Amino acid sequence: MSSTPPRVLVAVPAYNEEATIDKVVSRVRESMPDFDLLVVNDGSRDNTRRILENLGVVTATHLCNLGYARAIQTAIKYALACDYDTLITLDADGQHHPEQVLALYAESVSSGWDVLIGSRYVGSKDYSHSPLGRRVGMQLFSLLVKLASGQRIYDTSSGLKVMRRNVFEPLAQSLFVDFHAEAIVYLIRLGYRVGEFPITAAERMHGQSMYSLLSHFKYPLKTSLLVLLGLIEANLRRRRN
Amino acid sequence: MFFLPTLAVEVILPFRAVLVLDLMGLFFLIWVLNLVRHNRLYVGYGVIFIAAILGTMVTLSVPQLLLGVTHLVGAIFPASALTLLALCFIVLMLLYVLSQLTLVSNRLAVLIQELAIERSRESAYATSRTNKRKDENSLR
Repeated sequence: MSSTPPRVLVAVPAYNEEATIDKVVSRVRESMPDFDLLVVNDGSRDNTRRILENLGVVTATHLCNLGYARAIQTAIKYALACDYDTLITLDADGQHHPEQVLALYAESVSSGWDVLIGSRYVGSKDYSHSPLGRRVGMQLFSLLVKLASGQRIYDTSSGLKVMRRNVFEPLAQSLFVDFHAEAIVYLIRLGYRVGEFPITAAERMHGQSMYSLLSHFKYPLKTSLLVLLGLIEANLRRRRN
Repeated sequence: MFFLPTLAVEVILPFRAVLVLDLMGLFFLIWVLNLVRHNRLYVGYGVIFIAAILGTMVTLSVPQLLLGVTHLVGAIFPASALTLLALCFIVLMLLYVLSQLTLVSNRLAVLIQELAIERSRESAYATSRTNKRKDENSLR
């Protein structure tokens, strides 16, 4: 029997997060000293890179901006290459409280989830406190995931996730444009256990959201198409295996 | 149904139009060849354009072939048939070019990711070695 403790990697994708990245890194280091930390600097054009160098944190730097999904995929590929057992992703904008991650991780281990999402809505099952655009979007994507996978996920766009090693490979192979609803549907349809755990998240104080005005219209269409493709791909993959 | 071939024969392209279009085709052909020669157009794409230009020039120059194509696409006038085929070609090429662009962009993204991962692994290794040395020194 091997008594080696599981190797856990905390990955923080960051794009132009000079205002918050140092606080996030120090909070992660303080609250999870046993876990390794990787920041994926997704081609930031501000001082994020310099701050990370000064902090001495292990950083995977994209030479240009590849987008959120590619940043998460880099973290997954890194975890796969370095033989980690678990990957925890959290946002660099300071919305997530690293202190809650340990509870999320403990729940993931004890209940055997393949992917456990830190959910802002599963506790109250109520979107009314969110701004109108997000409220409509969250309900739409939640419905979409329910229709495509048969499972209700309340927070499809949460950046706080705990992933077990067995999902690294299917996630590293496919490209998910935002790593949200489409990835969730894909994993559920492949037979992986995906769950939610209640967390609280602060509102973004600095930097820009990755959702522009145009993307409020484009994103639902894009995600719907990707959910459909994820569904097809998962069925084909299951048949091949 | 019976009057269609007769009508098509009557509205066949005049010699001057065929000549102008063939000259334009020749110009495009020379341009494409030159681009390929100077390595500014991938030979695979060049072949598609050369085949399309030569095909169009031959179709224009042989009246029976032009009539055949007109009937094949269900057009009354040869000009309409050629416009339809040109539109189809443009849509196909656009789709092909965008798919190639996506392919190249995906390859580039994978390269950037691999480079980032390799560099971060090296940096993680260096950090762990430094920490180990610090620990050893503090034990001494």
